[in-house]
Amino acid sequence: MSSVDLKIMRGKVENINALPTIPSTLKRLSVLIEKPKITLDEISRFVANDPALATKVLKMVNSAIYGFPGRISSVSHAIMLLGLNVVKGLLLGVSVFEIMQKSMLGLWDHSVGCAVVARLIAVKKGLKEPDEVSVAGLLHDIGKVILLLEFSKEYESAMEDAQTQGVIISEAEKDHFAEGHANVGAWLAEKWCFPRNLIEVMGNHHRPQLSRIAQTETAIVHLSDIIIRARGVGFAGDNSLPVINAAAFEMLKLTEADIKEILKEMENSLEETEDISQA
Amino acid sequence: MRKVSVDKLEPGMKLAKPVMAASGIALLGEGTELNEKRIERIRDMNITAVVVEGVATQVVPKEEMLNRLDARFKNVEDKPYMNMLKKAVKEHIEGLYE
Repeated sequence: MSSVDLKIMRGKVENINALPTIPSTLKRLSVLIEKPKITLDEISRFVANDPALATKVLKMVNSAIYGFPGRISSVSHAIMLLGLNVVKGLLLGVSVFEIMQKSMLGLWDHSVGCAVVARLIAVKKGLKEPDEVSVAGLLHDIGKVILLLEFSKEYESAMEDAQTQGVIISEAEKDHFAEGHANVGAWLAEKWCFPRNLIEVMGNHHRPQLSRIAQTETAIVHLSDIIIRARGVGFAGDNSLPVINAAAFEMLKLTEADIKEILKEMENSLEETEDISQA
Repeated sequence: MRKVSVDKLEPGMKLAKPVMAASGIALLGEGTELNEKRIERIRDMNITAVVVEGVATQVVPKEEMLNRLDARFKNVEDKPYMNMLKKAVKEHIEGLYE
């Protein structure tokens, strides 16, 4: 079977705002955030015009995933506390939620779980921007959504291969696509003007050794992805586990006791986030 | 903590997580003890369940959970750190049933 050409893949990402498969909220959001200099006002106005979106984002920022449970009352307040990139990321996250539910059941739970674990590790490691790491965790598989929407036949056969060969989906993707979901995600992040480090995390979450400016953040999302799958939360396109990159793991210096503590805290946060999707 | 649907709330239960309005603002704080009046207030809101203190009952039986865990790790157990991760997750899952 021939694989999807790189140029065709890039073309879909570049023209995402014109693709018929992409829901209108996501398109409008994409048009807005691909401008390099976007203001707090523009974001607030956009969200104010879409009450359902506003409710979902506020539920998200007031949940235990972030550090301000129950205290954020508006989107502009959220931007001040969490930063523009985090709020942009959350808007994207909740905008792809419905597509995720339709195209790959369990991918949203996997993504939220990864975001929760990533934040817990980032806090434990004393990173300055744990919420940005969490957003990278939330969006790390967004490339899968685009591949599923635009190349559903090819992606479904990659998922079948993963199943029958007992490999992870990013391995199976190689026989069907010139580039995998991680790079597609990085292209999108670039198009949406996310900072360099976030682009790097998304592109390298399966090969953290390639990261240069965001090594710790990449290692965190790489490990969070594996921890949340190991726990069996959600579905990421396969029934196998990626292998931990030893160098990335050693860099984080986490003990078995640390991991158990993170799992415990994750369990509490996830209970609370279950309702977000019902907004 | 455990999640309880609003129609199964009883006086004396203690909130393990705040109850939020649709806007995300906390209406009843963590640790609040429920009484008839507060339960009624919660039922009037557009929410399906709240989190109270106590041990959660797991939906999937423990045996099944551990079998699935074994299946997930089948091909990667011998790789560096994967065995440690499996042990941590296994003990964690067992803890959910205690």
